[in-house]
Amino acid sequence: MPIHDQGYRHYGGHREAPGRAWTVIASAGIRSMAGKRKFLGLLLLAWLPFLVEAIRFYLVANFPQASILAATRESYREFFDYQAVFVFFITIWVGAGLIANDKRANALQIYLSKPLTRAEYVAGKVSILVVFLLLVTWVPAMLLLVLHMLFQGSLSFIRANLVLFPAITLFSFVYVLLASFTVLALSSLSNSSRFVAILYAGAIFFSDGVYGVLYAVTGSSALSWISLGANLRQVGNIVFRMKPLYPDTPWQVSLLMVIGMIAVSMLILDRRVRGVEVVS
Amino acid sequence: MTMATSTDARPVVEAEHLSKWYGQVIGINDVTVSVPAGVTGLLGPNGAGKSTFMKLMTGQLKPSQGVIRVLGEPVWRNPAVFSRIGLCPDQDSFYDRMSGTEWLAALVRLNGYDERRADEAARRALEAVDLVEAGGKKIGSYSKGMRQRVKLAQAVIHDPELLVLDEPLAGMDPIGRRRTIRLIREWGRQGKSLLVSSHILHEIEAMTSSILLMHNGRILAEGDVHQIRELIDEHPHTVYVKGEDPRRLARAFLAEEDVLSLQLEQEAVIVQTARPDAFYSRLTELAASGEAGAVGEVTSPDDNLQAVFQYLVK
Repeated sequence: MPIHDQGYRHYGGHREAPGRAWTVIASAGIRSMAGKRKFLGLLLLAWLPFLVEAIRFYLVANFPQASILAATRESYREFFDYQAVFVFFITIWVGAGLIANDKRANALQIYLSKPLTRAEYVAGKVSILVVFLLLVTWVPAMLLLVLHMLFQGSLSFIRANLVLFPAITLFSFVYVLLASFTVLALSSLSNSSRFVAILYAGAIFFSDGVYGVLYAVTGSSALSWISLGANLRQVGNIVFRMKPLYPDTPWQVSLLMVIGMIAVSMLILDRRVRGVEVVS
Repeated sequence: MTMATSTDARPVVEAEHLSKWYGQVIGINDVTVSVPAGVTGLLGPNGAGKSTFMKLMTGQLKPSQGVIRVLGEPVWRNPAVFSRIGLCPDQDSFYDRMSGTEWLAALVRLNGYDERRADEAARRALEAVDLVEAGGKKIGSYSKGMRQRVKLAQAVIHDPELLVLDEPLAGMDPIGRRRTIRLIREWGRQGKSLLVSSHILHEIEAMTSSILLMHNGRILAEGDVHQIRELIDEHPHTVYVKGEDPRRLARAFLAEEDVLSLQLEQEAVIVQTARPDAFYSRLTELAASGEAGAVGEVTSPDDNLQAVFQYLVK
């Protein structure tokens, strides 16, 4: 009778080339979130504004009495405002624990002892959030545009508003990247996802609140740059070629604040995502 | 059977004037050393710089000064070499809600394994550490010994040439210790190179005779363990044994000649022995027989080793 080797058999199969490890982090995170029923419920709920808008487009296209509801370029910009509350909750739900949970489980040291660079780790983590946020911003907005065209049965609206394709894409990405990097940076600062969620909510509401008070006192929107939300809304209006929402703040300042926020978040991630915490 | 080996004459780790400091504190101080292929014990009291040295050789820390090469390649910011190294860190690093199999499969995918192969590799690694039956259970339900073994499994799962094990026996029960020591020796026999840190000479001696002694961030000595054996034996060895019935444990220990003193605590016995080899051997038998109830965590403070090092540096 042949005796089979019972020892450790070495892997002889295919190995992905180095540099692809971020996809492993991303796919594991996406699958983990997609397996949560409550989260899927939230994702579905986030498509409610899309449904309402789609019905509206249908009514406008089929019933002349509803022409008062006809969509404009502004409607697409407003669609992002409707989605803001869902973006907020998804950002907190998915993003708060992305790095904090790894830190709490001491997993970073083991992760980074594998052929995985810190940049790949961060890219993988950011991708998880980016995917879910694009699912509730860019995807429904683009689908709306397609539905709009189909219900109307002509390309006249699209031809008149060709800017909408790049505008939706650009603003979605700016919005999603700002939310993703901000919450990820906060997530790298703590071991507790709850604390990160509070920090993120605080950063959004506190900066908005402070600006609101200053606006009430001064009557000027010159200090809108201190609010994260205001900067984003200002950039959104410019991207959609609308009037600036805060006329006393140059839109360039708002854009700089958004870019600066992403840059600061990346800097924090660079310093905080380490296999070994070094306390000098 | 093919095997990843590093048994050629080339050292697996080479450090040249390697230093690492954390602000004002020196972790590693101008270390120049070559670690040969095979099993090598890294011995030193707590704070000697063992973990820092291991973190430097696994690319977790950047040297403040000097050079470190692993398997002939610079290791800092060189993830390609990480696939040839397996690290078992000293701290617990788990997602308690994942099963052992899930955790291992997820980790090995970072080494480029596809999903199906990752599951196979996880099963093989669990077999290698005698943990197949518990593979489907949540890590949160594992005992300390099982957690250490699943940590060892993640270090060996991708078939590395060099295994770096930081205090792999810490907190294990006697049977788990014996099993892990056997595993380490077996991996060494298979041709892998291993660097194992500990502050307990007895543990290292059971795995290998080749040791590096570290103290205050420097390599104090390197070579054969037997050369410092006598020095160690001059100092009583303290062992902390946790058990469900410390009184029965104490009674069993008292009968032995080499036991110099006993201190009874609520859940443990602290023993001072003149012959740690004999003591650990008897302790394993006692745990296996169950005569003195279940024997849990076994730890040893490094006071005795500290005394030897103080003697050596005089």
